[in-house]
Amino acid sequence: MNKIGVTELRELIVAISERVASERDLLNRLDAALGDGDHGSSVSTAFEAAVEDIAALNEPSLSAIWLTTAKALMNRMGGASGAIFGTFFLRGVSLLREREGLDKAEMEAVLKAGLAGVKARGKAQLGDKTMVDALEPAMAAFAAAEDFRAAWSAAAQAAHEGAETTRNLLARQGRAKYLGERAIGRIDPGAMTVALMFAAIDNYWRANCK
Amino acid sequence: MAVRKHKLINRPEDLVDEMLAGFCAAYGDIVRCGDNRLVMRAEPKAPGKVGLVMGSGSGHEPAMLGWVGEGLLDVVVAGEVFAAPGPDNMLAGIRAADRGGGVLICVSHHAGDRLNAELALELCEIEGIDNVDMVLLYDDISSAPKGRESERRGTAGLFFIWKLLGAYCEGDVSLAAAKALAEKVRDNTRSLAVSLSSCASPMTGETMFALAADEMEIGMGLHGEMGRGRQKALSADETIDLMLPPLLADLPYQTGDETLVLLNNSGSLTLMELFILYRRAAARLAEAGIRVYRSWIGPYATTLETAGFALALCRVDEQMKALWDAPANGAYMKQL
Repeated sequence: MNKIGVTELRELIVAISERVASERDLLNRLDAALGDGDHGSSVSTAFEAAVEDIAALNEPSLSAIWLTTAKALMNRMGGASGAIFGTFFLRGVSLLREREGLDKAEMEAVLKAGLAGVKARGKAQLGDKTMVDALEPAMAAFAAAEDFRAAWSAAAQAAHEGAETTRNLLARQGRAKYLGERAIGRIDPGAMTVALMFAAIDNYWRANCK
Repeated sequence: MAVRKHKLINRPEDLVDEMLAGFCAAYGDIVRCGDNRLVMRAEPKAPGKVGLVMGSGSGHEPAMLGWVGEGLLDVVVAGEVFAAPGPDNMLAGIRAADRGGGVLICVSHHAGDRLNAELALELCEIEGIDNVDMVLLYDDISSAPKGRESERRGTAGLFFIWKLLGAYCEGDVSLAAAKALAEKVRDNTRSLAVSLSSCASPMTGETMFALAADEMEIGMGLHGEMGRGRQKALSADETIDLMLPPLLADLPYQTGDETLVLLNNSGSLTLMELFILYRRAAARLAEAGIRVYRSWIGPYATTLETAGFALALCRVDEQMKALWDAPANGAYMKQL
């Protein structure tokens, strides 16, 4: 398969929602070490809301799916992570308008716009112990691959490795930055969520898109 | 120290809405609840005045709900526990606070509060709502060193800003003047907190951090985040003696200054302990030649059931003293 249509895009969000829900306790535990311990609960609640709101759309288009997801994350999750995760989707919306399908280069542009939005909104760079540490390498891996299947797989792998690198970083953004050296030894929950998102997409693609 | 984990709540996902419903039922003469988790003055202020809106994660009660009212804030937008409300609800709050004289979004400086206020401002631009601005408020000296004040967190010391800014915006002032007053109060305010035990999230039931029974944490954030350092728990007098010098040196507060003083209970200290702490603080301030104009002791900006307190000072001039003594009628802040 070399195009993502409305059905696939909607199912990607469902796959992400199911994955973060199944890892809710893990994400809560990671957040307890660095923040207030409810990241897993809030991100899974927000993605569940996104799935519900998308199902309720009268005319689900690619841009409507992405915008609905952005709004659910911003408004249901709240906090800094809601604003930043929401921005990731929000910045892709204009690139999806009037489109019926996305080839790999177009999907790449949507994800890249999201990454740029996340970095601008959170004022975070690679190495700050944030979701950028998973997202940026995932994007680079996605861009370097030939087709969707290879791209999702490489992105999932890179996001996983990127999340792992946050374990040994000092936090420079968000609440964890006040911990100083006590943040060392813990994986950033936002980076882990990104890794789970790409893992969910990769699994979905392997199972459903030949 | 063991943390109480059983909460008298119903479903965790309902707790914010149920809390707001109870608050508005109890204080219906002062506030009313609206859609989008808004808490508004029962009687809006006169047309043409600057409206004050603030988003606030839940878990700090009576902050910020108790500061909605005449002479105080116009609208508070409640978020999830310790999470700032999202931009749609903030936008609804801005609309509700708009009396035609401009709206100032008061942002307690945390990433989530700032980002969602910025998103809300972007929405205002798209929707053609102009004359809206935001002001970043911070006071906690433990969160960034002197010289980098703008990186500090907003914590219990913002107490002074709600009252002084609220009184100011009852007058015929411009949005720019309101923002300048907020910055003036902020720049004269400093606080530092100490905690003896963590709190448990009502969403997950888990404690935010672990402290041994004989330890204390210095410089805690308002969300139970771990602060900068911990040490053996001290007596009341030793604790004040440890906290006051860095607080005084930071502004610095000097001989001849007049201040407002807040001793804020983070949740589960006893009033007995707070009075003992205040006794020492008052004596130390007197020794330093610093006059206390007014003092407040109690649970104003809490962190659920955290055992701890914050000491906050605000240096005042004649204008600020008059604003402090101006009438206010919020559920948890009254000035007759």
